[in-house]
Amino acid sequence: MTNNNIISEIFLSDIIGKTVIDARGDIIGVLRDLVMVPGEVFPEVSHILIKSGKKTSSVPWSGIALFNRAVISVAGLGTDLLPSVPQEGDILVKRDILDKQIVDVDGAKVVRVNDVKLGNFYNDRLCIFSVDIGLRGLLRRLGYEAIGENISRTLKKPIPNSEISWEYVQPLEPHTSRLALTMARDQMNEMHPADIADIIENIPIKHIRTVLDSIDTETTADTLYELESELRSEVIEQLGNEQASDVLEEMEHDEAADVLAGLSEEKAQELLEMMDQEDAEDIQELLEHEEDSAGGLMNPDYFRLTADITAGRALELLKESVEDVETFYYGYVVDEADHLEGIVSLKSLIINRPDTLISDIMNDNIKNVKTDTDPEDVVEVLTKYNLLAVPVLEHEKMAGIVTVDDILAFCLPYVKKRQKK
Amino acid sequence: MKFSKKNIILFLSVLGPGIITANVDNDAGGITTYSVAGAQFGYSLLWTLIPITVALVVVQEMVARMGVVTGKSLADMIRENFGVKITFYLMISLLLADLGNTVAEFAGWASAMEIFGVSKYISVPIGAFLVWWLVVKGSYRVVEKIFLFSCTIFITYIISAFMAAPPWGQILKETVQPTFDFKPSYLEMIIGVVGTTIAPWMQFYLQSAVVEKNIKVDNYGACRVDVIFGCLMTDIVAFFIIVACGATLFVKGIKINDAADAAKALAPLAGNYASTLFAIGLANASLFAASILPLATAYYVCEGMGWESGVDHDFKSAPQFMWLYTGLIVVGALIIMIPNAPLIAIMLISQVVNGVMLPFVLVFMLLLINKKELMGDYTNSRMFNIIAWTTVIIMVVLTLMLVVQSIIT
Repeated sequence: MTNNNIISEIFLSDIIGKTVIDARGDIIGVLRDLVMVPGEVFPEVSHILIKSGKKTSSVPWSGIALFNRAVISVAGLGTDLLPSVPQEGDILVKRDILDKQIVDVDGAKVVRVNDVKLGNFYNDRLCIFSVDIGLRGLLRRLGYEAIGENISRTLKKPIPNSEISWEYVQPLEPHTSRLALTMARDQMNEMHPADIADIIENIPIKHIRTVLDSIDTETTADTLYELESELRSEVIEQLGNEQASDVLEEMEHDEAADVLAGLSEEKAQELLEMMDQEDAEDIQELLEHEEDSAGGLMNPDYFRLTADITAGRALELLKESVEDVETFYYGYVVDEADHLEGIVSLKSLIINRPDTLISDIMNDNIKNVKTDTDPEDVVEVLTKYNLLAVPVLEHEKMAGIVTVDDILAFCLPYVKKRQKK
Repeated sequence: MKFSKKNIILFLSVLGPGIITANVDNDAGGITTYSVAGAQFGYSLLWTLIPITVALVVVQEMVARMGVVTGKSLADMIRENFGVKITFYLMISLLLADLGNTVAEFAGWASAMEIFGVSKYISVPIGAFLVWWLVVKGSYRVVEKIFLFSCTIFITYIISAFMAAPPWGQILKETVQPTFDFKPSYLEMIIGVVGTTIAPWMQFYLQSAVVEKNIKVDNYGACRVDVIFGCLMTDIVAFFIIVACGATLFVKGIKINDAADAAKALAPLAGNYASTLFAIGLANASLFAASILPLATAYYVCEGMGWESGVDHDFKSAPQFMWLYTGLIVVGALIIMIPNAPLIAIMLISQVVNGVMLPFVLVFMLLLINKKELMGDYTNSRMFNIIAWTTVIIMVVLTLMLVVQSIIT
């Protein structure tokens, strides 16, 4: 078919239900749906489905003679039509996209597809350009676009065009009535977890799973941690134990402990049992401390050194432990019995010669807190001595560290909440 | 279902949607209808409560099941499967019907407060503001708890009935033994009782509430218990209202026109308490329904049309939702306050629209619940479909009778 037989843009609502004629001009049925396949930029229409009586037949796009608002005709004869054989995985524009919900990532809300805009993109292929989610699409579907246009002219308030280009619409499953996202999956992973958390807080709970399924486990873990504890418990409930325990394994141990502390004891225990044993033990230990104490806030993973090694070796160790340890501002020098002997700052590791012994550069005037120290007192130690992290001792043994951001999140929940809004 | 600790906890966690819906069902219109039924026909209408309960359970169970299995509200499902045109006109009709229902709730609240000597020009604005503020400014969870707690006040009806000391033997017999009378007024009463018990908006509300609760398919058994329990509660309350009025007003031949009359008529017979209890019950029922009904309406209209909805939003982030909710309350309250407003006519029209819409909603529900691609293994069984379609046909016949009758009179 040639370029001038198809108008540049057309709405699905203008063509669905239109009568279709054959080469002789006989009516062969009405347009029921369009089958869509992935295209180079936009998805393309591969077949059209024509319904006549109880029979539905399918015509490939190449077999269409005319396709516009006024006439839809096929090249052959109506008697030669082949019945349509539904394929698993086919996406039908009307059935699977029209009237369905999509998550508008930018606006952090769920919207509904009121209409679909099709057009001629290249090579005479009919492509899906955009979805209409606004009032204009709604009025067009209802047949009130002209009336709406008149009213808006009288009020001098134009009806806004709310269309989302298909480039930004990603259906999550091929054959589905579940909602799509207005952003590609890999783009979701690049968003800041706090921003994804904002989206999740704004959409109905039943859709949260869909959003989480579109991001990787690590991003899910970070996102989950950003949620308010009440919503977080509900989301974990929705994820199911297996997925939830995978997500928890991705978290820092102190964060995982925080999350588990917010769940019912029974549920937390179930999840711990499903987790990697080593992770589970560490988290279990943290859980035993009161939530509002240094023990509850601390991270058990710290940059661990011994006095008899060199600064150069220490920097190598730092690189090796980068996976497990979150904070590297200080190295903690301990003996075999985990007694804390001294602290060495990252700065002194870097500025001293690589062959300097740790015992020569470490600071043995140690400021520390105990596992049962109040958060307020931890803040005082951190601010008084200008520290970025403070070691936490339990029975005189090194148990973990509390960093400035651990304590900040605890002390300023109100501020944090306000910033989110 | 075993009676273990785990099952009890499970039941309590899914408890709520069915019971709340059932209790909103006993609203001002319901109380009025049941009272008149008892006063005019004594115990002879009690038998209808058994088939009504069956119909109510069948209908409510289906929406609860759809909510649990699909995770979508009824409005969502209608929009996605029947398109925007059907949804739009259905929503417009239901909006009108619900405005009428809201007016009826405020009328109930006004008459209850008048028993305590408070003028409607004072009670209605206060009630309207209270309802609006509770939902918009309070947290949804708190609101739900307040509503759930206020359900217990329906016990006052049972107390009222017992204080009237009715002949229980005769009541039991009349409950299980159907009697029929072809007097037009008797038929009218049956239709009224059915119509007030099974309303279209309740189906939308229940399904959304089930979705909101996020109940898993595995826990559907407990959810079903909640729904059935709620339905039984509705009809037990209805039963005691009819008994209370039958035992006192019917035997003395006192005629009543609304629930406030019923409260006044009970006072000399069962002491001052009966009147006060009845008024408190009516006030609570009216206010309860007056807050849920506009909320449910705003929810399902927005869900169907694809607009942002939810009580956590404000006028800026969810304008259609907030304006619909606020508008229904404000307009509903204002209509009551118009001096000499044609309240009876407004309630009648809303009743008729309700009735006309119900068969449509029921048919949509039955079409949806039997779609394999939506419900998987949870479509209706053959037997269930027979019961459900029979219910629909009876409802359609009754409603047609109601509509025809409303037009004649």
